[in-house]
Amino acid sequence: MLEIEDLKTNFNTYDGVVKALDGVNLSVKDGEFFGLVGETGSGKSVTCYSALKLLPKTAEIVGGKISLNGEDITHASEDRLREIRGGEIGIIFQDPLSALNPVMTVNEQIGEILVLHQDDEINKLAEEKEISVYKSEKWKGSPGVEFTIMAFCISFISLFVMLGQFTFSLPFLFVIGMMFLRDYLQKDIPESALDLMVVEALSRVKLPNPKQIASSYPHELSGGMQQRVMIAMALAGKAKMLIADEPTTALDVTIQAQILQLIKDIQKEENMSVLLITHDLGVVAETCEKVAVMYKGKIVEEASVDEIFTNPQHDYTKALLNAIPKGGKERLKVPDIGEPGAI
Amino acid sequence: MSETIISIKDLRKHFPVKNIWGTDIALVKALDGVNLKIESGKTFGIVGESGCGKTTLMRTLLRLVESTSGSVVLSNELTQNNYSSNKLEDLSNNELRSFRRQIGVVFQDPMGALNPRMLIKDIVSEPLVIHGKTDNVRERVIELLENVGLGEEHLYRYPHEFSGGQRQRIVIARALALDPKILVLDEPTSALDVSVQAQILNLLNDLQKKYNLTYIFISHDLSVIEYMCDRLAVMYLGKVVEEANTEELFSNPQHPYTKALLSATPNFEKDKEKIMILGDVPSPITYLDESKSKLGTELTEQERLEIEAIKGKDIDYIVRSSLNEALPLKKVANEHYARVK
Repeated sequence: MLEIEDLKTNFNTYDGVVKALDGVNLSVKDGEFFGLVGETGSGKSVTCYSALKLLPKTAEIVGGKISLNGEDITHASEDRLREIRGGEIGIIFQDPLSALNPVMTVNEQIGEILVLHQDDEINKLAEEKEISVYKSEKWKGSPGVEFTIMAFCISFISLFVMLGQFTFSLPFLFVIGMMFLRDYLQKDIPESALDLMVVEALSRVKLPNPKQIASSYPHELSGGMQQRVMIAMALAGKAKMLIADEPTTALDVTIQAQILQLIKDIQKEENMSVLLITHDLGVVAETCEKVAVMYKGKIVEEASVDEIFTNPQHDYTKALLNAIPKGGKERLKVPDIGEPGAI
Repeated sequence: MSETIISIKDLRKHFPVKNIWGTDIALVKALDGVNLKIESGKTFGIVGESGCGKTTLMRTLLRLVESTSGSVVLSNELTQNNYSSNKLEDLSNNELRSFRRQIGVVFQDPMGALNPRMLIKDIVSEPLVIHGKTDNVRERVIELLENVGLGEEHLYRYPHEFSGGQRQRIVIARALALDPKILVLDEPTSALDVSVQAQILNLLNDLQKKYNLTYIFISHDLSVIEYMCDRLAVMYLGKVVEEANTEELFSNPQHPYTKALLSATPNFEKDKEKIMILGDVPSPITYLDESKSKLGTELTEQERLEIEAIKGKDIDYIVRSSLNEALPLKKVANEHYARVK
């Protein structure tokens, strides 16, 4: 599915060049649940952002090759990358509240992805059901017409008030009132094809009352629900691969268990490949099939999950496993590894 | 059993919810009758998920918020018989000041707890200056920094020049500046990597031995709690649902929520029994008009969907709505209490 060969990414800073990635080899196969573990600054996030070319301007990919389904996307055009992001690879970020737009409803945000990546599907659905494609069929003039009517009414009202004939201005007041109230008066508005697809996307991630959630803003939802919305967005483009960058770090353990179960279920149902980035070895043990451990911009060990926990080979992996408090009261062994991600 | 240093008796903190006319329509019961005894020289752990009242408990212990009812009784070790009363809520402002000298606090996010424009020497010496202990400040600050594994060379630096683990060490040094007897640790390692977390936990254990400190350790990471604590209380929606010594609680959990919490922690044992908690955390708001209250024991829409999703997958589960039933705290074993039938 995704293959990264000898990837090197540098960050150019005032203090010199930071080699964030120093020759990373990674291959995620079809339908594989792959875990990428490491500490802060080890380069796990940079790996996935390099693969999607989502790097800041100071960063530069200086070597290596990235291929997706055999296609070399190292030097892909911006247009092609846009198709890939969201369309072929879905992304879930760490903190759902900062990844979701606070001034757009869930409906608008998921709708955006659908319009960009699933336009044909929406049109097909609209034709089948003979409903409108994008907008709900509310009575809505163009903004220019509405503004003109409003200005017209207000000028007549003020004219009659000035003439001392307030009763004549009542019909115009009525028109203005109706303009404000019409959304509430029109109750049974047929939904558009886009609305239906958003609701379908939300029910895939097991959200209750998807219609109500679609019309709410991110801050009205709990952390777990927000993360479910993020997953719905990542899946909306019918992506074949999912990159999850610390999807559960901001959540409680109980909610974390729910979200991990959901990602596992979806991965099995759709036979997707998942690249899970995390610093929590426990999360990896519970979900992944294969793990790579990153340290200072390199992959120091790669093995199946059972192998890495029963028989770790690299010193860093051993140190990392030893640093986790496990029941007993004996002193924790602090890994002597220096500062991660040094220049 | 060692001496009790602080005992909390039926502590309640209800935050009123007002409508636009300013009349109370509901209460958020952040703490709803908490009884705890904290032993001197031991580590007392408080676990629970976001919104269960851990932090409110910490804030009422320091009297940063006034409790609605109940009391916090201080032992002679803390009062030295100098105060007018041994109840925290009756202390006068001056007494409160001297009481706070005996409690140090370490917060979750070290960068948020350190003023970015102050030098380390000023940050660590600030409590000394405020409480009027201005003799030999420089020597004292260096001593404190050496205690936590930093040194004289760090005095004239700013917080942003340090790594996360070092910042947390600075916060610990500052908390220890006034020789407190109790240290409240509010998720001290949740912002840190495992290797750095191991360093900080070792440091905390060393300091506890050296100064005979009492720790109140708040965390949601059960592996850390199991490693650090002697006794443990599990909180859920403002109530303590289970309290026991750490080994007892981890080997013999009684309350369904504790069981699920213990099994929800990701770990390496593949064949461990798994219990999922289904549903979202209910809102802790209790409406005064009882017909509006949403805390029911019947299944919610979300829970029904999730039960359907895991049907036939051989996963044990409990649902949140079943936890809403009010049960009294019952003694289940020696020093082990739980809210079970």
